[in-house]
Amino acid sequence: MTDTLSRGPGDSPGLGLEADIAPDIDEPKRSSSWARYTLVKAGGAAISMVMVILLGFFAFRIIPGDPVRLLTDGRQVSPEQLDIIRDTYGLNDPLIVQFFTYLTDMLKGDLGQSFVYNQPVTELIGERIGPTLLLSGTAALLSIVVGLWIGQRAAWKRGSFFDKANTGIALILWSVPTFWLGMLVLMTFAGSLKLFPTGGMMTVASDAQGFDLFLDIAHHMVLPVLTMAAVVYAHYLMVMRASLLEEMSGDYLTTARAKGLREDLVRRRHAVPNALLPTVTLIFMALGGIISGAVTVETIFSWPGLGYLTFQSLSQQDYPVLQGTFVVFSAIVIVMNFFADLLYRVLDPRLRK
Amino acid sequence: MTLPDNKPDTLAMRMVELDGEHVHTLDGKVSARRVVWNRRLSRFREIMREVVSTPGGIAGILILAIAILVAIFAPLLAPETDLDPTKVTSGVNEPPSAENPLGTDPLGRSVLSLLVWGSRISLLVGVSATLVSMIIGTIMGMAAGHFTGVSNAILMRIIDFFIVVPSLVLAIVLSATMGPGVLTIIIAIGVTSWAGTARLVRSQTLTVESRSYIERAWALGATDWHIINKHVLPAVMPLVMANTTLAVGSAIIAESTLSFLGLGDPNAVSWGAMLKSAFSTGAATAGYWWYMLPPGLAIVFVVLGFTLLGRALESIINPTMRGR
Amino acid sequence: MSYPKSLKRLTALGVAAGVFLFSATAATAATAVVTPSAAQAKTSSADKTFKVALLNDVDTLNPFTNVLAAGANALALSYEPLVENGQKSNELTGAIADSWEVNEDGTVWTFKLGTDRKWSDGKPLTSDDVVYTFDLIMKNPDLQKSKGALVEGLSSVEAPDAETVKITLSEPQAANPGVQIPIVPKHVWEKIDDKAAFANDKDAVSSGPYTIETYGKSSGITMATNPNYWRGAAKIDKIVFVPYKSTDAAIQALRTGEVDFVPDMTSAQFGSLENEPNVETYSGKNRRYQAVAINPGAKDKNDQPMGDGNPVLQDLVVRQAIVRAIDKSTLLDKVLGGHGTLAAGEIPSVYPDFYWKPTDSELTLSFDPAAANKMLDDAGYAKGADGIRVDKTGKPIKLRLMGRSESAAHASMAEFIKPWLKDIGIDVTVETKASGQVNEESEQGKYDMYFTGWGIEPDPDFQLSINTCASRPNADGSAGLNESNWCDPEFDKLYAAQHVELDPEKRSELVKEADKFKYTQAVNNVIWYYDSLEAYRSDRFGGFEKQPDGVGPIYGQNGPWGFYSVTPVSELEGANSESTSQNSGSSLPIGLGVGIGAVVLIGAVVAVIMRRRSSSDDRA
Repeated sequence: MTDTLSRGPGDSPGLGLEADIAPDIDEPKRSSSWARYTLVKAGGAAISMVMVILLGFFAFRIIPGDPVRLLTDGRQVSPEQLDIIRDTYGLNDPLIVQFFTYLTDMLKGDLGQSFVYNQPVTELIGERIGPTLLLSGTAALLSIVVGLWIGQRAAWKRGSFFDKANTGIALILWSVPTFWLGMLVLMTFAGSLKLFPTGGMMTVASDAQGFDLFLDIAHHMVLPVLTMAAVVYAHYLMVMRASLLEEMSGDYLTTARAKGLREDLVRRRHAVPNALLPTVTLIFMALGGIISGAVTVETIFSWPGLGYLTFQSLSQQDYPVLQGTFVVFSAIVIVMNFFADLLYRVLDPRLRK
Repeated sequence: MTLPDNKPDTLAMRMVELDGEHVHTLDGKVSARRVVWNRRLSRFREIMREVVSTPGGIAGILILAIAILVAIFAPLLAPETDLDPTKVTSGVNEPPSAENPLGTDPLGRSVLSLLVWGSRISLLVGVSATLVSMIIGTIMGMAAGHFTGVSNAILMRIIDFFIVVPSLVLAIVLSATMGPGVLTIIIAIGVTSWAGTARLVRSQTLTVESRSYIERAWALGATDWHIINKHVLPAVMPLVMANTTLAVGSAIIAESTLSFLGLGDPNAVSWGAMLKSAFSTGAATAGYWWYMLPPGLAIVFVVLGFTLLGRALESIINPTMRGR
Repeated sequence: MSYPKSLKRLTALGVAAGVFLFSATAATAATAVVTPSAAQAKTSSADKTFKVALLNDVDTLNPFTNVLAAGANALALSYEPLVENGQKSNELTGAIADSWEVNEDGTVWTFKLGTDRKWSDGKPLTSDDVVYTFDLIMKNPDLQKSKGALVEGLSSVEAPDAETVKITLSEPQAANPGVQIPIVPKHVWEKIDDKAAFANDKDAVSSGPYTIETYGKSSGITMATNPNYWRGAAKIDKIVFVPYKSTDAAIQALRTGEVDFVPDMTSAQFGSLENEPNVETYSGKNRRYQAVAINPGAKDKNDQPMGDGNPVLQDLVVRQAIVRAIDKSTLLDKVLGGHGTLAAGEIPSVYPDFYWKPTDSELTLSFDPAAANKMLDDAGYAKGADGIRVDKTGKPIKLRLMGRSESAAHASMAEFIKPWLKDIGIDVTVETKASGQVNEESEQGKYDMYFTGWGIEPDPDFQLSINTCASRPNADGSAGLNESNWCDPEFDKLYAAQHVELDPEKRSELVKEADKFKYTQAVNNVIWYYDSLEAYRSDRFGGFEKQPDGVGPIYGQNGPWGFYSVTPVSELEGANSESTSQNSGSSLPIGLGVGIGAVVLIGAVVAVIMRRRSSSDDRA
């Protein structure tokens, strides 16, 4: 539920839905007030955030290796120069001092200074969060629309060729490593057929403006968006299908049919909206995961976003940046989960009264 | 107009009921134990029979059987010297030929041989990492469902935290700290992917513990340990088993992703490492499809096997999931 | 039972947005065809802009704080030092200075500036600017990040008159102190308050062939031709360093003509371009070496053991046997696709003045597994039952080989080295780590063997200095810069002698002697000198001068020569550019058209099927 790595337990196609999303709903109790519910959820999110910040600091301090040596790799530097560089980044301070600086700076919105780019981390992340949201947002929307639509159709015609074919395709796509799919797509459509650019977000050094720029960006987006969406939509398809199947066993549908409603209407007016309830919540929870799942896709397609930044900082041991992306990614997921909790309560008919 | 077939599955219903029945054997009498044991054994047989009767289940079992056989008999299928670039005679990056059915890699080794040997690491890591994840997830989930008050709050916070933390980044940090290797990858995947299972198990635990026989057990003076061990664990196990099978597939993908990012074991051949090598030597640009396609297809094949089997198991164990 | 209205609205909104985005994406796929071809048409009229793929990050263009190579390469085109390395053979030649002399003991260097030197803004370049620049670096530690090591031995820099600069050293030195320090214009830099933080990314004033016009992270570096360059203005108008996130993407852009020059390719990428029309591939000899370092028993400054290297490697015979077990030419062929030069010493062949060219008889450690086995047998390392030799304490010899996790070459080489060393009875485990970790652990002697490599500067003094006993680290591993965790009094003597030898020929002999001595000690098994694999649009540009002449690289030279000499094809002698440049762009739209046609067709078929299905449903 978090990202491509843990496309994992509790997140597998066709897994028990209620268990997946409902557990938190019984705590706080259903009868509790809106305010109390929101407060408890917000409190939980805040605690998670604090833990992320703590982990963000210490995790990147225990990685062995002196990042400053990397900066000066293979160049003429004196030990004195190294010391100057270490001082610039506060690496000569005791750990506790570094931690305190980290905390106070973070409260000011300052995530430190990148070793490699000589630029504030906040600025670096600010530059890249837009492209990441654009890419993941488009991929998410596309996969939601396609996934839900096919999902409900497949459920409605369970056992049909349409159902079998689509469930089969979804299961196969589910089993594909995203980065490999990206490589194949890149090799085929950008490499051999030359239909799309091989990477980046826009044609470099072009002075396209306005609508031309929009077209240019969209052209660059096609392959990464399709790669991301291909794996994710399978998830939504399976969830929607399972959810609708359960809904279809409800007595009220039989009642509706008995009343003489057309099959089509039964589906559109009754079953689908009710099946959407758990699905929408689940999707919201998974959104944060999609964003951080961008690491491999952005790397393959050189998309100038947070995921690619994370990968680069990893190979360059740019701790402040890694730390920053870690905190930001986690924050996005935490916020999304919080919204999912709220949304669930808003949408759940049992809870709304 | 057809109505969805939603007749409750009798076998599975019986299973749940059986679990409910044996509540009263609070003491550990040998005979009672044997009865329970036999019951579980026959239940396992029934489940397997059901799995084999579904097309998905049988496909999954077949795929996994092939993969496991290939992994076990790798030395027979491809001599280990095939992996030694100093012993091979073929040129580098050769397209498929009679001698090398899948061509050669950038060091002149047969891609087919690499593929055969790579199955070992992928299966080993997938299964082991999932076991780690399942053990942590089951324990944490049962504890979070069983206990109340402060300990529950703390457990829930920990689970929630592991759900939100970007596991890829966390796994990267773990790998960097412990040094790349098979064990590192197993731990990194296991430690970062258990939270979903914990949620699942917790919710199942809550359901089980709300049943009346648990209240009776409490009334008879059962300890926490007894309740968890004798009632909750057996009730969540089937779900965990199905979940495990599904999770192995995800763990295999995770292994390939970490290897691709350069955190794999440099001393062993794995499918992820093959893809990394293909990517970093520019195989994509050069059009060496025979080095890029097979490892990825192998991953898809095995992951699909685990997913199909897992879904078949799940639909049998969880009656409300039938036919999904 | 009713269902929430909000939910319905939500669904409708989601669907609408999705459909819009999808169609927008699809539509753009179609329309974007126009963009590249249109852009091409535009640029062909102004074909004097040379576009270079920028593949690595630029940290800063501030010449005092720049560390990373991508920025350094642009700065080399822009800021001249007093003396630079010539295009023919990396020989020293005048840049800002016309001539120079040194007193007998090598402590006072006097430079005569050229009379016609001007800044790009037209102001004269005088000795004042030179003294100002040296003073900035020497007096402000914040400005030493880039060039601090070069001013360490300087005691004063003076300007007796407007055309003379006198540099006084605290100790004699043979290396010219006027190279590599980029001279900046005083009239610009004295107005800057925080010089260390100055980005220098807009309309910079400098004296080299090009000046920095603009720099942005996504737009790259744009450099304009300096009309006042004393060797004469370059033949093009502009150089643009265009950022690409991966070499693959840059190669694609080269194929479509979006970029004119791509450096630093892998051999597979290089090979894929060899038959590409209008693209010329070029493999130039580089100044970087690749080696396997063998830990001879690391020690700190106080001669105390450090790190955890296997003690068996302290035996010279074992190290030499390891070197003899590794087949360099196979590695060069298989791993590098032959794009390199076999090596023995560290100083590469691109520096003919200092390159030790070994004769066959001097290659005492050439590949010979039988000889290696015999050496180990004779030294008393018997093979155990499993074929692994045991050391003097009876333990099997198991060694670690450390490499960088992101390096494909390290992984590939390790695959070969493992079985080769097994052949001489040594077991090897490969460990891959992040670059920073490899650096740190190697510095602290925590390795048995590891992959290493250095880019060698034109003057060998620095490279030799990091092999002296004085360069070893403190006990805690800090302040160390030792290349191979090795030191030997004999080498120190050679280093000290060349350091002050003012006679170029004698110095050259001493340097070669030192390099050869290190080779015999088998602490750093230098395998090859890399080639630079480059490619450019031969339908647009040519005339690149290589350094050294004819064999060296075009990009990343010690000096501006490669890009200073770039010439539009229309100005090259005997050029006929018209016919070749036409057909390159047209294949793209056709391919796209076919692709879009296919997609539309599939979409239509799917739509028809869907329609059928839904109508049959309704009937049921």
